[in-house]
Formats: sequence, structure tokens, C-alpha cells
Amino acid sequence: MDVTLIGQSLVSGLGIGCVYGLIGIGFCVIYNASGIVNFAQGAFVMLGGMITHVLLVRGELPYGLAILLAVLAVALLGVVIERVVVRPLWNRNAPMFVMILATLAAQIVIERLTYLAVDDQPKTLPVFTDLPPVMVRGIAVNMQALWIVAGSLAIVGLLALFFRTTRTGKAMRACAINREAAALQGIPVHSMLALAFALSAGLGAIAGIMLTPTQYTAFDVGVPFAISGFIAAIIGGFGRPFGAFLGGLMLGVVQAVAILFFGAGLKTVVALSILLLFLFVRPSGILGLAK
Amino acid sequence: MTAAASGAPAGAVPVPADPVLAARGLSARYGEVQALAPLDFVVGPGELVAVLGPNGAGKSTLLRAILGLVATGGEVSFMGSSLPRRNPAAVANRGVVLVPEGRGIFGPMTVAENLELGSWRLGRDARERQRRMGRVFELFPRLKERLGQAAGSMSGGEQQMLAIGRALMADPKILLLDEPSLGLAPRVMEEILETLGVLNRAGLPVVLVEQRAPSALKLAHRAYLLSLGRLAAVIDPREVQSHDQLAQYYFA
Repeated sequence: MDVTLIGQSLVSGLGIGCVYGLIGIGFCVIYNASGIVNFAQGAFVMLGGMITHVLLVRGELPYGLAILLAVLAVALLGVVIERVVVRPLWNRNAPMFVMILATLAAQIVIERLTYLAVDDQPKTLPVFTDLPPVMVRGIAVNMQALWIVAGSLAIVGLLALFFRTTRTGKAMRACAINREAAALQGIPVHSMLALAFALSAGLGAIAGIMLTPTQYTAFDVGVPFAISGFIAAIIGGFGRPFGAFLGGLMLGVVQAVAILFFGAGLKTVVALSILLLFLFVRPSGILGLAK
Repeated sequence: MTAAASGAPAGAVPVPADPVLAARGLSARYGEVQALAPLDFVVGPGELVAVLGPNGAGKSTLLRAILGLVATGGEVSFMGSSLPRRNPAAVANRGVVLVPEGRGIFGPMTVAENLELGSWRLGRDARERQRRMGRVFELFPRLKERLGQAAGSMSGGEQQMLAIGRALMADPKILLLDEPSLGLAPRVMEEILETLGVLNRAGLPVVLVEQRAPSALKLAHRAYLLSLGRLAAVIDPREVQSHDQLAQYYFA
């Protein structure tokens, strides 16, 4: 096997791995704030690319503005889901299982509404910078992959800064550690939960937007991304945002190499095998469980 | 001698006429189970009120009911207006601050972060935050040495000091504590109770839930004795002469 081919796979694996990682972080942020595994996460990824496409092509807005508006719109949708789907159940002390199912239902509703509002055709977005690939030792690194990696690292850095240094970030961590104790200090835990949904939705949207130029988006791409992000979060030790990002990178790379050796047909099999492997052998993930 | 020893109803001990905290007919349920039978509970200005009773008597439930953390019946008012139910953050913002059972500190976060989060309502007023922190360090100098340390890595006594310090950062108008001595060495416990006495003598009303009755009675102006989810007696600590007498209350 050609070494450059393996290198090429690694590069594309890192790119998609970053995206899985961002989605995985989204899972963790909501899980930490509420204990809920939010399966509507995939819808945020899909909508990021889709709304940007609609604003760009039908709205004829500048690319940058379309991206910004799409991220904000999806973040807002995150808050709406928290208010309309999660909180009413939460206030009624619904079992966790019910709330998780409700997010899955929200995913399906959003998917179908998108199908009705747009259509079922795959859409793509222009690459961020239209430059030829950078050649590194015979490996072609396309510019979009660089955008994805750089963008993801920047976001992870900003998130770390947010959670470590800002008042609100610290309050969100406090809620994750002990929600009742946080409330007893006057921290508005409901607002923190809404914020967690906004943050996760925005992250999902950014992931979807960065990825769409290299692939495509369609109304039904959300669930596979949600599953990959979920696996990333499991690998990282559920509830650990940084671990989820590492998990995403690992999943992306292993998948890419597996495609190289076994063909694209086994991509999902490999991903789910990794999930099973971790669930059986190391259920606490590479970094260990949060808390 | 008053109250339970003679089987007389609670209330023979003089009750403050102008309470800051007043619960009328307060009861609590966990699902279908009544955990606290309706009772009246008041705290006067500057009072330190102890809540005593054996394990499972409903002491913690009483605190949780005051804070509105459980399903309650009856009415709880603080400084003349009723306290919201099922909204602990709003209750905290009224100045009613609970140091919960098991301390509830944010273990992975630093001592400084814990204290900072205590003053959430303060917003970005750094000067006032510093002032409050200074006051906490006066009471618990050890916390100052541990500022950068993960809260969960400290000893139990230090964690309890942090839990109280964090509550004080909210500048409470009344402080409620759920068994602060739990799991602590007697000497550390005395130190913490002594600090509560200092706070109380400075005018802060305190509700202290304790299983170790003798220590609590040394500080308290009044004590409520609970048993099996009911109010068994209201005690005047000055009238409790001996352990035997206390035991009488417990087993009455």
C-alpha cells in the first residue's frame, strides 16, 4: 500500500474527525447541563449547512453573512427545543428516557419539515477559500480540510476559555457538577440549560457548515452525524468535551483508514464496532467519565 | 419544663412576635409519602434556631420544604412576603441560603471558583466580591491558603468551611445549615459551630439542623425537636439541664 495514500486518508480522517468532535462536544455540553442525551444534535448539523445554502443561493446573501445568520438561527432553534420539548417534560419530572426520546422525535420533525420546506436534493456549499491543495510530502491537503481543522481547534480553544474564565462558563460547569447546589447559590439553572442548548446547536451548525463544502447536505444527513458525534462522546468519556473532541479525531482517522483497507461500505460497521469495543472494554472512555 | 415532656403542645416556649422567617402549616411530601406533618416554624431576628431529632425525623425535609425543594403544603414567608416554591435560585436571591446536606461543593473546581460562584447574584461587582471574600477569610483563614486548590481535594472540615463560606458570599439574610458537623472530627465540628456563633452574634439569623444535640443547644436560642416527621417539641435550651433530660425529649 502506498504511503501517501495512507497519509491522504489520515488527513481526510482528521478533517471529518474534527467535525465528529464538535458534534460530540455538543452532546457533552447538553448532557452536563441536564443529564439528557440530545439526539436532535444531528438536526443542528444538517440545518447549519442547509440554512446557509438557502440564504446563499435563494437569499443571495454574502457567504460570511449567510454562515453567521445560519449559526445564530440554529442556536436559537436550540433554545426553542429546550423550551418547547425539554423543559415541559423536565418540569413534570419526566423520566430521562422520555426526554431523550422526545429529542429524537424533535430530530425527525425537523428533518421532515426541512424536506417539506426545501426538497430532497443534496445541496453543497462553496469551499471557504478557492485555492489549490497544499502539497505536504506528496500528500494533497485541501484548503477546506485546513479550514475545518483550524476552525475546530479555534472553537475548542474558545470553549475552554469560556468554561474556565467566564462567570457564565463557570456557572455552567457548576450546574454540571451539582445542579441543586448551583441553584441554592442563586444560579439560574434553567437559563444555563437553555444556554447549553444554544451552544450545542451553534456548534453543530458550525460543524455542518464547515463540512458541507467537502461533502453535501440533505434533509436526512443528521442522524448519521449524530451517531458519529455520540460515538465520539462515548470514546472520550461521556460528559468530557475535550475527550469528545479527541474521540472524534480518533473515530475519523480509524474510519478513514478502514475505508482505505476495506472499502467505504464498511464505514458504519467500523464506527459501530469502535462504539461496541469501547462500551465493552472501556465504557468510561479514554479520559474516564465526567464527575 | 415545657412542651413534650408533659405532652403539652409545642409553643409553650415564647415565640418571637416579629419573625423574619415564618412557616405556617408547612408540610412536605415525597410522592405519595408524607415526610413532614404540618407544623409552624419561625425564626426571629438574630435568632439561632436548632432543629434536632434522630435520623429520619424529617430535619432535612423541613429545610428542603422551607426552600421549596420538595412538594409542600402550607405557606412560607420571609421578611413579610411569601417564598417561591420549586425555584431555589429565586429563594436564594431573596437572601435565604442553604448549606445543603453533604456540603454540595463543586469538587473539581477551585476554592476561589466556588467562592466566586457563591456571589453569583452580585454580577461583576469585583470590589464587593473582594470585600465578601475578605470577610470569609477572616472566619476561615484556611480557605485563603487553599484558593487555587481543587475543592474536592480538601479535608472534610475544610470542605464544610468552603460550603459555609460560599453561602456567605451570597450575603445571606438568613443562613440554613443541614448537619454541617456530619462526618467531622469533634474538634473541627466545634470550630465550625463556634464560627456559626460568631456570625449569629453579628446579627445573622441561623437555622441549624443537627443530630449532635448538645453542641447545637449550646448555641441555640430555641430548638425544634422533630420525631418521625412530626414536631415533637419546641425547647428552650436554657431549660435543658442534662443529657438525661435531652434523652427524655428524644424518646418521649
